[in-house]
Amino acid sequence: MTIMMPASDQAVLDRRDAIVADLRAIVPGEGVIASAAEMLPYESDALTAYRQPPMVVVLPETTEQVSRVLKYCFDNGIKVVPRGSGTSLSGGALPLADAVLLGLGKFKRIREIDFDNRVVVTEPGVTNLAISQAVAHAGFYYAPDPSSQIACSIGGNIAENSGGVHCLKYGMTTNNVLGCELVLMSGEVLRIGGKAPEQAGYDLMGIITGSEGLLGVVTEVTVRILRKPETARALMVGFSQVEAAGECVARVIGAGIIPGGMEMMDRPAIHAAEAFVNAGYPLDVEALLIIELDGSSIEVDELIKRVEAIALGCGSTTCRISGSEAERDLFWAGRKAAFPAVGRISPDYICMDGTIPRGALPRALARIRELSEKYGLGVANVFHAGDGNLHPLILYDANKPGEMDKAEAFGADILRCCVELGGVLTGEHGVGIEKRELMPHMFSEADLSQQQRLKCAFDAQGLLNPGKVFPTLHRCAELGRVHVHGGRLPFPDLPRF
Amino acid sequence: MDTLKAGDAADVEDAVRAAVAGDQPLEIIGHGSKRSIGHAMTTDAVLDVSALNAVTCYEPHELIITVQAGAPLDEVVSLLDSRNQEFAFEPMDTAALLGVRSGRGTIGGMIGAGLAGPRRIKAGGVRDHLLGAHAVSGFGDGFKAGGRVVKNVTGYDLCKLLAGSWGTLAVMTEVTLKVMPKAEAERTLVLRGLDDVTANRAMTAALGSPYDVSGAAHMSRTALEAARGALAVLASTGQAATLLRLEGIAASVAHRGAALAAHLAPFGAGELVEGAESAALWCDVRDVAPFAADGPLGGWPVWRIVCPPASGGAFGQALARETGGEVIYDWAGGLLWAALPSSVDVVDAYAASLRRRLAPLGGHATLLRAGEELRRTVDVFHPQAKGVAALAERVRRSFDPGSILNRGRLTRTPIS
Ligand SMILES: Cc1cc2nc3c(=O)[nH]c(=O)nc-3n(C[C@H](O)[C@H](O)[C@H](O)COP(=O)(O)OP(=O)(O)OC[C@H]3O[C@@H](n4cnc5c(N)ncnc54)[C@H](O)[C@@H]3O)c2cc1C
Ligand SMILES: Cc1cc2nc3c(=O)[nH]c(=O)nc-3n(C[C@H](O)[C@H](O)[C@H](O)COP(=O)(O)OP(=O)(O)OC[C@H]3O[C@@H](n4cnc5c(N)ncnc54)[C@H](O)[C@@H]3O)c2cc1C
Repeated sequence: MTIMMPASDQAVLDRRDAIVADLRAIVPGEGVIASAAEMLPYESDALTAYRQPPMVVVLPETTEQVSRVLKYCFDNGIKVVPRGSGTSLSGGALPLADAVLLGLGKFKRIREIDFDNRVVVTEPGVTNLAISQAVAHAGFYYAPDPSSQIACSIGGNIAENSGGVHCLKYGMTTNNVLGCELVLMSGEVLRIGGKAPEQAGYDLMGIITGSEGLLGVVTEVTVRILRKPETARALMVGFSQVEAAGECVARVIGAGIIPGGMEMMDRPAIHAAEAFVNAGYPLDVEALLIIELDGSSIEVDELIKRVEAIALGCGSTTCRISGSEAERDLFWAGRKAAFPAVGRISPDYICMDGTIPRGALPRALARIRELSEKYGLGVANVFHAGDGNLHPLILYDANKPGEMDKAEAFGADILRCCVELGGVLTGEHGVGIEKRELMPHMFSEADLSQQQRLKCAFDAQGLLNPGKVFPTLHRCAELGRVHVHGGRLPFPDLPRF
Repeated sequence: MDTLKAGDAADVEDAVRAAVAGDQPLEIIGHGSKRSIGHAMTTDAVLDVSALNAVTCYEPHELIITVQAGAPLDEVVSLLDSRNQEFAFEPMDTAALLGVRSGRGTIGGMIGAGLAGPRRIKAGGVRDHLLGAHAVSGFGDGFKAGGRVVKNVTGYDLCKLLAGSWGTLAVMTEVTLKVMPKAEAERTLVLRGLDDVTANRAMTAALGSPYDVSGAAHMSRTALEAARGALAVLASTGQAATLLRLEGIAASVAHRGAALAAHLAPFGAGELVEGAESAALWCDVRDVAPFAADGPLGGWPVWRIVCPPASGGAFGQALARETGGEVIYDWAGGLLWAALPSSVDVVDAYAASLRRRLAPLGGHATLLRAGEELRRTVDVFHPQAKGVAALAERVRRSFDPGSILNRGRLTRTPIS
């Protein structure tokens, strides 16, 4: 493990048996898991290169239990790591040796479906897809659709502000959540927002969303649901040059067309996906765009024509338009299976996730190619082209000594490049532990201090999910002081961990 | 009172640092067009940021614009218009409502106030379009939040807090906003003579349809008559009007207009208003024209009430009946503008009862327009539950521990 985590508290570890017993008094039966073998599945999330057994796993079933567990840990100075389905790709749910791993998997009930107000009130352990399925019979759906939607929990989506193909047109999680029940580290239970379209006071829901489990534990959420558009059709457009595909993306948006989804794959990704699902992808192109248009059938027909013309103008070499739902699904099948497909052509890969301004796409891809040569590692590119969110998959073999380190260095270079091109370190997977050390590349000390002070407003002891997101731990008291003389806020030389 | 006019971000830092050193709170203004909203401030000086007014970068193809916070809103709006783009959240012009000169207002003030118009039901609010900001905290430190791209989960999303914070967290110096292409065509379906509750049901049905409604409002005959402008034209039949807007490419708008009319046939036949005429109607809805200061209802205090959309009709109807006031509905019933006649001594009582009745719905009410005396008596902003209020106060202090920025604006109880 190259990334260090906060030092374990030996005093807490020494009291482990007593702590486990105390937790059992709060969450009875199988809700407390303490044996090494049974804790194994919780050792990591989808960033599997990092593993760490937790001190103990607690699986509460009620908000009251969550509140009591947190209060107990708060009173006893014990760290807590929240966990949903464990599909985080940035290590957000990675346990700590001296921390309670708080799994929300038993919060599996959809509490209320309210079609009149177009909201669903649900527990956090419900999967993203289950929400759409629960309202599908009435023609509704929940718009944000991470590729992991079959597995990831809505609580994890809130924590990561997850997005998917639909986010270009319908927004990320943050644009589709109205309220939550939040348990603070102190055990205090709060209601933020609700069914009303807007909350009173500061937009606390907006700050909780995307906070990576560092501010509070979400025990209920209210999400907006949308009526499904009348129809959706997709184009599959091939280009002999990546630059042309990038230009096409820019021109579609520039023409005022916001597709329901606009995804791009480069040659290695196309080949891997085609071999895996036989979607009929052209194999002689350098880049493939899948562009979906949704809305009324008349609108979709018209926009398909416009997009086709734009694509031709950009020099597309192939263009297919879906004629049926089955065909549209087929176009998507390859894209949706791109990650597992790449998994078949390489023993290991890391999936990066940076965002760049759309216009910088060709430059970013050229740079990734250069880096691929420099590091001697292959890369397949799959991305949400419509909003500039790149997912380079860096191919390596963990069994070859040094390759994983090389892959990680390659990944970090890509993310630095994203920032240099005017973009950001992460578009949807979060900072977690993976991009923690890169935060100073994007944010100054003053920027990070302001974020950490906000953290202190929620969790003054820093007990909730420490070691994630911020490269340096700060004591809240230090951060809260105003130093006006001499201008700048001094930064105590707290050790990096 | 001193007015400090900042010329750049460094001036803003200097001003805030000096204010912190002397414990002399600052009132932050752009053009000051919304100074009559909120509580009287206990500040020693005014920090005017209107000279930070440059458009830093406008990239129509990227759908983003970066401007200094003091940039005049009307200039930015015309610039976007020249490229056939707009702020999709359809920001309201509060000038008429508040009785101030039109054409005033800065982008910083727009974000600080966070008031979005009718399209919020489809496109989201101000908070959904603020991608990044440079700001100066109450520590006097310049910091940056967010970025220039739509998809960004790097660190906490501080921009969400800045939108609608009424200048109490930080002074924005530069912001990046998402912009959207303007729709090619629009059309409004007008249903006639529905009472508030039935209109609410019609709007609910419209929003539950697949026809992509981008505006849903309802007004009584009295409200229409009071409006004078485009809405007044609708008053001629002497009936209430329920407005449903469709936007998009022409063929689609025509198709959806017909389909929506058929879908809503149980509520009446409906008529169609097209293009510029339709646009004028929605400007009036956005700016709450019936309650404009020079109109017949112009003297009454105005509340802005947000509640779950499907409960708006019943809530508003009861409110109007009991108080003899007038209620306008937007956001398919999720946003109520209520002009309620009252004298200062009774308003406290009805403010409390209004808020008590909103509580089970999870709604909230802001006293958006009121004389000074009233604002001294009543909480302008909706009081929050104890734990949430305490958290919000800790959040505020994490930006501005000395309460240097707009001290006293949000709460009646002075912050110690
Ligand atoms: C194959 C694959 C494809 C993916 N595709 C996408 C994609 O397209 N878009 C995308 O955005 N992401 C994607 N992801 C990443 C991941 O699925 C999302 O980040 C997801 O939101 C994580 O949800 P989870 O329930 O698994 O959370 P976990 O991994 O369990 O936890 C993630 C973070 O959330 C916190 N957390 C979890 N539940 C709560 C709660 N109730 N309260 C407070 N904090 C909580 C944890 O502490 C942790 O920091 C993908 C992952 C995989 C494996
Ligand atoms: C064409 C047109 C369109 C308009 N559209 C809108 C609209 O979309 N939305 C809208 O609300 N109004 C709109 N208006 C009305 C008017 O412009 C607003 O009242 C204006 O945006 C508010 O700006 P201001 O500078 O006058 O606000 P002020 O009254 O100066 O400020 C309002 C609040 O924001 C705070 N604030 C101001 N600047 C900053 C800053 N830099 N950093 C932090 N806090 C700050 C203030 O302290 C105060 O709390 C429009 C006007 C016109 C002419």
